[in-house]
Amino acid sequence: MKTFLMILAYIIFAPVLGAVLSGLDRRVTARMQSRVGPPILQPIYDVLKLIQKDSLVVRRSQNFYVAFFLVFIIFTGSLFFSGKDLLLVIFALTLADIFFVLGGYKASSPYSIIGAHRSLIQMMAYEPIIILVAVGMYMVTKSFYVADIVSHPGQIFYHLPGIFFSFLYILAMKFSKSPFDLAYSHHAHQELVKGLTTEFSGKSLAMIEVAHWYENMLMLGFVWLFFADNILVGAALTLAVYFFIILVDNVFARVKWEMALMSSLLVGLLLGVGNIIVLFFIRR
Amino acid sequence: MAYLKRSPWIIHYDGTSCNGCDIEVLASLAPRYDVERLGVINTGNPKHADILLITGSVNDQNREVIQNIYEQMPDPKVIVAIGICATSGGIFSECYNVLGGVNKVLPVDVYVPGCAARPESIIDGVVKALKILEEKKHKLVEMQLSREAFIIEPATIEDAAEILALQKLAYQSEAELYNDFSFPPLLQTLTELKEDFKTIIFFKAVINGVIIGSVRGCVKGDTCYIYRRIVHPMYQNLGIGKKLMNDIEFHFGFASRFEVLTGHKSRRNINFYERLGYKQFKCEKVNDKRHRVYLEKIADRIRV
Repeated sequence: MKTFLMILAYIIFAPVLGAVLSGLDRRVTARMQSRVGPPILQPIYDVLKLIQKDSLVVRRSQNFYVAFFLVFIIFTGSLFFSGKDLLLVIFALTLADIFFVLGGYKASSPYSIIGAHRSLIQMMAYEPIIILVAVGMYMVTKSFYVADIVSHPGQIFYHLPGIFFSFLYILAMKFSKSPFDLAYSHHAHQELVKGLTTEFSGKSLAMIEVAHWYENMLMLGFVWLFFADNILVGAALTLAVYFFIILVDNVFARVKWEMALMSSLLVGLLLGVGNIIVLFFIRR
Repeated sequence: MAYLKRSPWIIHYDGTSCNGCDIEVLASLAPRYDVERLGVINTGNPKHADILLITGSVNDQNREVIQNIYEQMPDPKVIVAIGICATSGGIFSECYNVLGGVNKVLPVDVYVPGCAARPESIIDGVVKALKILEEKKHKLVEMQLSREAFIIEPATIEDAAEILALQKLAYQSEAELYNDFSFPPLLQTLTELKEDFKTIIFFKAVINGVIIGSVRGCVKGDTCYIYRRIVHPMYQNLGIGKKLMNDIEFHFGFASRFEVLTGHKSRRNINFYERLGYKQFKCEKVNDKRHRVYLEKIADRIRV
């Protein structure tokens, strides 16, 4: 019953919270650029507008992939928030993202194909670190289950600072924020037009937006796991991480894909694997 | 609900502008005017955009680009011509390469004159465009609701521009089928079409005052040639095409033979004509991609 309630809560509240956070993001970004910025609910207006718009497609099947992207993101989030296996969550998340990339390839526009290439490169960059997160959590709590990790006494962050910071490093990719907004970005005028989402319009673009809200909440859930011992501290620090990412987004310019890939592999190797090695010797 | 008004996404295209108006457009996005507080985003992608801002006049090179951008925008959409050059051609209107304002190519909804147009007036123009955007949305919804209530009547030369726009839309699928975008119906200009009105009879199918289908025909000798039967993609399979054919055949009831033509790959068209009693009698090669199929029908009774 509790599982069912958690899943229901995720399905209903995650997009609302995700939308509000993304509205806050736009407002804070505007303030950092000394602008007024849009209303907090602007992302919701955007999506409601997109639903009213006509859908133009290059190939009809591209919408099919986007629908699966949304479905699998919801599935992944439901697994996570109902306390299931972290490894399964990671694999389901990868599957969801792969569907999005396939949608980009299917649209067969040069912009969306380059966006898809870059999205795959980003996956190569962040997947190892996300897996390291699961491995690190297992070493600390002796369980891959999110429910067990949450009920572990003491902040996990104290044992996994290296893994946390390497995760922080790749979080910009998952939020598609600068300096790693290579595949597509919310910011206007970039070299890829809109990257992966170039060929999507109307309802399918709305679906992508909603899927991103779900995905963002899931990624913030990952951050929260590191501080899950105290629910208030966890929530506060998760928000702090979100605003840190917005700050970084406004401070840094976009990097090239080589830099994104190499640096995150290096960070993952040094901080992530280093953390696990240290943990291994301490815990022996 | 009026969400279109709350999140207008724009795309900005620079025609032959001197950059004066472009800079003012960008200035309205910058901190001082910050149109993002109204939900405006400069998308740079026609498929995400609701409002097309065009600065500068239209010339022979950019007309296709402008049309292409416009066609790639999903409905409902509006066009705002910014600056005097986009409005009428401005001081460049007499240049040999300049066609004139944007309205030579596309249906402009709002004009923002000025040289250069000031950010305040650009924002004002966008706000005016939002109202039109809502109206267009209502129109679309209404049209969707009254899909089956169409009337067919003869078209006049005033309908030429609307018929041409519909023709280009309706022939898109044919052009894709043959991967040949040099189709005569796609290349026809408004002047050529207006010229046609002198020799050819046009019929139009209308829903709520909007033309969603058309057919044309003329008689040479005993034969009535019927061609360019077009129906808006949203209104196909409602019997509009069949009704158009019936009406034009009735109009030319004195002809003893009717002739139509279509492409060899357009199975749907050939089936459609065969159901109306036409028979294939000739196939002619146009180019490597396309053959023309001619179908004829001998009138079974001659009206007096």
